[in-house]
Amino acid sequence: MRMVRQWLRGPMGALLYKELLEAWRDKRALLTAVTFALLFPAMITGATVFMFKVKSENESRLALIGAERLPLLAQQLAGEQLLVDVLEAGEPAELLAGEYDLVLQVGEDFASEYRQFGVPRLYVYMDGASKDAGRARRQLQERLAPLQQQVVQQRLVARGVAPQLLAPWRMEMRDISTPSDRGKMILASVPALLIMTLFVASLATAVDASAGERERLSLEPLLLQPLPPWQVVLAKTLAVASLGWLAGLLSVSALTALMPLMPMAELGMQQATSLSGVLAMGLLLLPLALLVAVVQLLLALGSKSFKDAQMRLSILQVAPLFLLMALDMSQVQLDRPAWQLLPLVGQQQWLKALLVGDSVSLFAVLAGSVVTLALVAAFILIGARALRRESLLGAT
Amino acid sequence: MIEVKSLRKQFAGRPVLRDLSFEIPDGRITALLGANGAGKTTCLRIVSGLLNADAGEVRVGGIDVARDPLAVRRQLGVVGDREGLYERLSVEEYLTLFAQMQGLRGSDLSRSLDGVRSELELGDLWDRRTVGFSQGERMKVSLARALVHRPQHLILDEPTRGLDVLAARLLRRTLLRLKEAGTTIVFSSHVMSEVLELSDRVLVMAEGRLVGDGEPAALMAQAGCDNLEDTFVSLAYGQSKLTEQEALA
Repeated sequence: MRMVRQWLRGPMGALLYKELLEAWRDKRALLTAVTFALLFPAMITGATVFMFKVKSENESRLALIGAERLPLLAQQLAGEQLLVDVLEAGEPAELLAGEYDLVLQVGEDFASEYRQFGVPRLYVYMDGASKDAGRARRQLQERLAPLQQQVVQQRLVARGVAPQLLAPWRMEMRDISTPSDRGKMILASVPALLIMTLFVASLATAVDASAGERERLSLEPLLLQPLPPWQVVLAKTLAVASLGWLAGLLSVSALTALMPLMPMAELGMQQATSLSGVLAMGLLLLPLALLVAVVQLLLALGSKSFKDAQMRLSILQVAPLFLLMALDMSQVQLDRPAWQLLPLVGQQQWLKALLVGDSVSLFAVLAGSVVTLALVAAFILIGARALRRESLLGAT
Repeated sequence: MIEVKSLRKQFAGRPVLRDLSFEIPDGRITALLGANGAGKTTCLRIVSGLLNADAGEVRVGGIDVARDPLAVRRQLGVVGDREGLYERLSVEEYLTLFAQMQGLRGSDLSRSLDGVRSELELGDLWDRRTVGFSQGERMKVSLARALVHRPQHLILDEPTRGLDVLAARLLRRTLLRLKEAGTTIVFSSHVMSEVLELSDRVLVMAEGRLVGDGEPAALMAQAGCDNLEDTFVSLAYGQSKLTEQEALA
């Protein structure tokens, strides 16, 4: 620790301070980082709220007239997405013009016809021009079908016929997902977006600190200072990563703050992310922020111009999103320990677990972070070699 | 002293320096003359440790540049031919950070900053960020950066290019003052009057080779010319080129 302190008080500290000043005084880069960091949690929140609003709008209202002639009908029809109001009387056209999507009228001779095993009538009134009519009719038919099947079976039994003859099999749908699983599914895109925040937030700074510095001809005086090239790359990496990492932390914090606005109960989730959760996620993102920064710097240093560097890094920033989505959709079991050693995949899995309140293996986190940091060190050494390239100084 | 021995360098198979050797003694101003593409900038970049030579040896103050480039950089101040500044830093921040990168701290740092501030008349610029600085102002800040750690050796690549009269005068005055203080100075230039005014010794380069080495008066006598410009043309391109140009004139 003392060694690090002394090291930071020396030339390396001055270099790091210079890189941090340059990075944090770039208003455009800062604005991009903050905007993306706040925008995506807001969008996730908005999308979730909207999704549940649409779901509640899918409810249909049914007016049932003549229910006294078929007492159990109202009880059988009512349920999720179909609200049934029993009315003593009413004009179907007026009811449809009001708050009802559908009017179901039980025929006056229904009871007598039913008793005599006739075919009593149920009248369904609908406004065919209404966009909700089709949905309401489908919901009503879905509810009536099992009721009708039940009556048929009872009649067959009454005549000594086994009802199974008419139904060789019966299909039952059973949803085995738990509420937490449904929540996980909805929040599955969040870790990938959090990781993408690192790329987006540090892009401008990475380009500026490498291709930009080369183009402004300020790299040469820096390379003439008595500092080994790896320290130059390390200082730039730390400065670039600082922006990406803090934007990531801001995103996590914003997401946590916005969680109460989301329909967590409908998602079957508790507010899983607390302050300690935010800090844990921040720590998990730190090695990845360093890796993203050094990769961005290397790509930008190897580019022909400032614009070329911007283009390369713009492509790079969407690459992890597609990669993680592709892996998610594949049959690969990403939660296995070996996969968690891979940068991006490991962080995605840990973030996913922490977001819904699951625990993560400390060993997996440590091992995965060590692998990520080893890659950072390797890329810093590659970057130090790149700084010795003659083409970098426009010498060729 | 700066010693260059049998230096060779080529870019993409094209030789830029061909067996270049010379010595620059301490406490004197040496001018490096040569046409564009003669290899001056490449030579100065190898001396400052920015580029590696393909063959040969460079020593600055007795230290081999290839073996210990960091030690050499502590003894060197370099002003390149085209230099950018950090536009988000003020002049004070810029010079402080570069002085700290050279290892200066505390009272040494303050003394050095005060020194370059007054010597190079940076008072008005001190608190300003460098965005929008004129060419002359940029040169003053670059020179201050190269001098802030009081280097033994100073290398300047075409330092007066694009400078107005006042800035060029200030630069020349500063170089003469540094020479009096014992600093070894090497600069490349295309301005013959400046070379004549400043330099104790002139090195003439052509196509990566040294074609002339001596005091300005001695070189003129050697070439049989009465001015440095003719001397340079004669040495760099040959007597025939000089005759051809005189005929055209």
